Amino acid sequence: MTKERKRNRLTKGLFQRVGVSLLLLCLYSIPAVFAQQAPCDCFVKGIVRDKHTGQPVAGATIALLGENKGVFTDKDGRYQIERLCPGRYELECRIIGYQPFSETIDLTAGHEEDFALTEDEIHLKDVEITAHRTDAPSSQPLSTLTGQDLARTRGQSLAESLRGITGVTTLQTGSSISKPVIHGLHSNRVLIMNNGVRQEGQQWGSEHAPEIDPFIATRLSVVKGAAGVRYGSDAIGGVILVEPEELPIGKPISGEFNAVGFSNGRQGVFSSTLQGGIKGLKEVGWRAQGTFKRGGNIHTPDYFLANTGTRERNFSLAAGFRRKAFGAEVFFSHFDTQLGIFSGAHIGSVTDLLQVIERGEPFVKGNFSYDIGRPFQDVAHNMVKGEAHYHFADGHRIQWVSAWQYNDRSEFDLHRPRNDSLAGLNRPELNFRLTTFTNDITWDHKPIANKLAGQVGISTLYQYNLMSGRPLIPNFDQWNVGLFLIERLVQDGWEWEAGLRYDYRYLTTYRLVNRVPQTDEFRFSSASGTLGVTRSVSEKLSARLNVGTAWRAPNVSELFSDGVHHGAAAYEEGDRTLRPEQAINTVASVAFDTDRFNWEIGAYHNYIAHYIYLKPQPEPILTIRGAFPYFRYTQTDATFTGIDASLGWKLSGRWSWKSKASYLRVYDQRNEQYLVMIPPNRWDNQLAFTIGRAGKWQGLFVSAGNLWVGEQRRVPLNSDFAPPPPAYSLWNIMAGGTLAITAKQQVEVGLTVHNLLDTRYRDYLNRFRYFSDEMGRNISLRLKWRFGA
Amino acid sequence: MNMNRKLFGWGLLMGMMVLLTDCRRADDPEPQDENELITTVRLHFTEQGTTTVNTFEYKDPDGDGGNAPTRFDQIRLKPNTTYNMTVEILDESKSPAENITEEIAEEADEHLMVYTATPASLLTYTYGDKDSRNQPLGLTGTARTGAAGTGTLKVQLRHQPPVNGTPVKNGTAAPGSDDINLDFGLRVE
Repeated sequence: MTKERKRNRLTKGLFQRVGVSLLLLCLYSIPAVFAQQAPCDCFVKGIVRDKHTGQPVAGATIALLGENKGVFTDKDGRYQIERLCPGRYELECRIIGYQPFSETIDLTAGHEEDFALTEDEIHLKDVEITAHRTDAPSSQPLSTLTGQDLARTRGQSLAESLRGITGVTTLQTGSSISKPVIHGLHSNRVLIMNNGVRQEGQQWGSEHAPEIDPFIATRLSVVKGAAGVRYGSDAIGGVILVEPEELPIGKPISGEFNAVGFSNGRQGVFSSTLQGGIKGLKEVGWRAQGTFKRGGNIHTPDYFLANTGTRERNFSLAAGFRRKAFGAEVFFSHFDTQLGIFSGAHIGSVTDLLQVIERGEPFVKGNFSYDIGRPFQDVAHNMVKGEAHYHFADGHRIQWVSAWQYNDRSEFDLHRPRNDSLAGLNRPELNFRLTTFTNDITWDHKPIANKLAGQVGISTLYQYNLMSGRPLIPNFDQWNVGLFLIERLVQDGWEWEAGLRYDYRYLTTYRLVNRVPQTDEFRFSSASGTLGVTRSVSEKLSARLNVGTAWRAPNVSELFSDGVHHGAAAYEEGDRTLRPEQAINTVASVAFDTDRFNWEIGAYHNYIAHYIYLKPQPEPILTIRGAFPYFRYTQTDATFTGIDASLGWKLSGRWSWKSKASYLRVYDQRNEQYLVMIPPNRWDNQLAFTIGRAGKWQGLFVSAGNLWVGEQRRVPLNSDFAPPPPAYSLWNIMAGGTLAITAKQQVEVGLTVHNLLDTRYRDYLNRFRYFSDEMGRNISLRLKWRFGA
Repeated sequence: MNMNRKLFGWGLLMGMMVLLTDCRRADDPEPQDENELITTVRLHFTEQGTTTVNTFEYKDPDGDGGNAPTRFDQIRLKPNTTYNMTVEILDESKSPAENITEEIAEEADEHLMVYTATPASLLTYTYGDKDSRNQPLGLTGTARTGAAGTGTLKVQLRHQPPVNGTPVKNGTAAPGSDDINLDFGLRVE
């Protein structure tokens, strides 16, 4: 009985630590620390477990950094390191296929006294560390937002939340629609894995934001660079991983409630989560989560932007079962949003656009309103996911993930049909319904000689698209199958990684040409590979190198577009002979990490063969609304070369400085010129002052920061109606802390002021930069109440 | 018992998949329709005091892109003459052709025809009709030509729907956006 209770307490201690360790994205489960009083007779032992399945992991390396002592876990995941002198140690655990994890272990005398209180007789302590498995290539840069860093982004959209990560920017359509951009690539060149499932919406559209509620996730990660082997088609620029917390199987009820208010747009966001186990069913866990968001017209420093309100209602439900080596889980999520689109951005002709640019501000300056009128988007996304896994006694593991997604996107134009009876129906001018089924089976073989681990997998996708409204893209259905193999080898501080993949895609499109049905078939296939190495030079310094390839089949819009793209004021025409893009991405990074000082610098070179872009044609197209510049989807070879650098420095006990910079140069090698719409260079600095504890408050801090974004000077000549906007510099301040009400209840509070000086600016990657300034000052207040575990 | 629960869970999942799936098939595409398509603009000039009608036309039967416009006439008028001028706007991609002029007249409050001659001395337009808010519309009017010369006549249909419920049409071209924007060649001789 005592033993059981002790165990629980220990476990709790561990979990708090895990909270910290998760910031580093770790994946393990249990080292235990046992310490004995006698000098140099302390020892550490424990178990390493997979967080998701709860199963022991054999063949994990456990090392005490700087001590030259390392062991492997046995077939039950257990390890033991003996003959340690009292002191502080950095314990590091590495598992092939998981992110490395490290933790400071305190074997000092004082610490032992603490142990003695709970473990009076045996001087033992169980330290449970659980960590999350990741499929991301270990030799590629992976940046993760969790805990406090994620909390500070709450209330923002997925793309906006990721903006704090070096090398990640956003492509915006006004203030309401933003898409993530990784190393200058976006839309179909960035893949989003939503809870382990490829997100399939209409990603090709630059005004189609990801249909994901960030409140689902407790961890947002970005894999930078081509990761085609593990993730398949589209992972050319990178992969965004949206990961919820593991289900609380057999745990008590807990939850959180978030409320965020923004002054600009008078926006309110509320989200809550409730989760736990079920009494009497130790093998079951569940979670229910919901979000509500409502915002009105955005204000620039000088005027309101008419019709920029947003509304969002999302929820998700999950339940899981785990017994010994078997586990299964179901997940359902519903995302539903209405996005007003700034009505001043509607143009009918090139003349309209030139006049707006000349005027420099919108013709109609709205008032504040929550109403969403035309033009607007109404988008719903539903997902049902089932997952099951089984660990074989001999160390093999099999996992099956099956998912169904239904994306329903309606776009309402500014103008209703002139015909009154049609207008009365208030139908969207565009409607897309995309249904996708995916199945992924992966087999992890047991580690060979504790050195070589790997997985093989098969991924299948079937989807079909139904379209109505004005002509844009055809109906289609497509099949995709991919096979992959990844192996990882760990030896003497080196971790090698190699993988291969083959994909085959069969696309059939259906459209009416002069009222006669026409079917077109496309077959695309591609092989991808990856080769990477990670070298831990010392406990402080590590280096990584990865060469990876990825591919992307042309999407239906690139194949079939044929018409004026309003807002871009361009006539865009597809090409049915386009071939898939092939990316070869090389990325090298070096990281240095101590308590006071850390930095990371990464350089990349992404060569994309057959890069698809809109090439200006010499003759404009004459339409009833005048002549439009004419663009055709064409292929070239492009290079994306850049550097991401970040630095963290604890200047003193209380002051700390963080700095992030990114540089990107993109070049069209065939035509020897630059490409359009590439994010300019930027530099972000934050200076923070930690107050620490005060009464019941913990973690109190204030900080001030500046973001500088350069002017994009690398643009092709005569490619745009207006030159790229000048450089801008934005100031922000932040303050926050956590109020511990009781041991099981905390309230986290955060106050942020973005664009403190109400600076007027325009961003090159906002498609509405022709029409209006960006958002002015925005004050936000965040509250998060956590209860239970 | 557990087995039953598992079966139930999977059954539920499958059931949801079937129920939520849109059963229509991709291989039966719906006719796609541009609500606001305009294929044809005809300008009728009637010399005052006569019944002679001169008609000049722009016509692109398959809409934007595809085949180039089949007709884009040069407007030829006599100098120093006053014409009654009407405009006829059609969507001839439909059968029978849809009369857009009538629809514009019904929604007069959010439409405005604008005629701009370059050089301005070639032609002066005077509105002959008004909407319910006493703003000009421009489906009918008079055109007075100046001295002989050549240039262009820009014909615009401005669509000026209310913004956030407030009317924006003010008799000038500035609000709204173009539904038609054609530069007809103009020869006064």
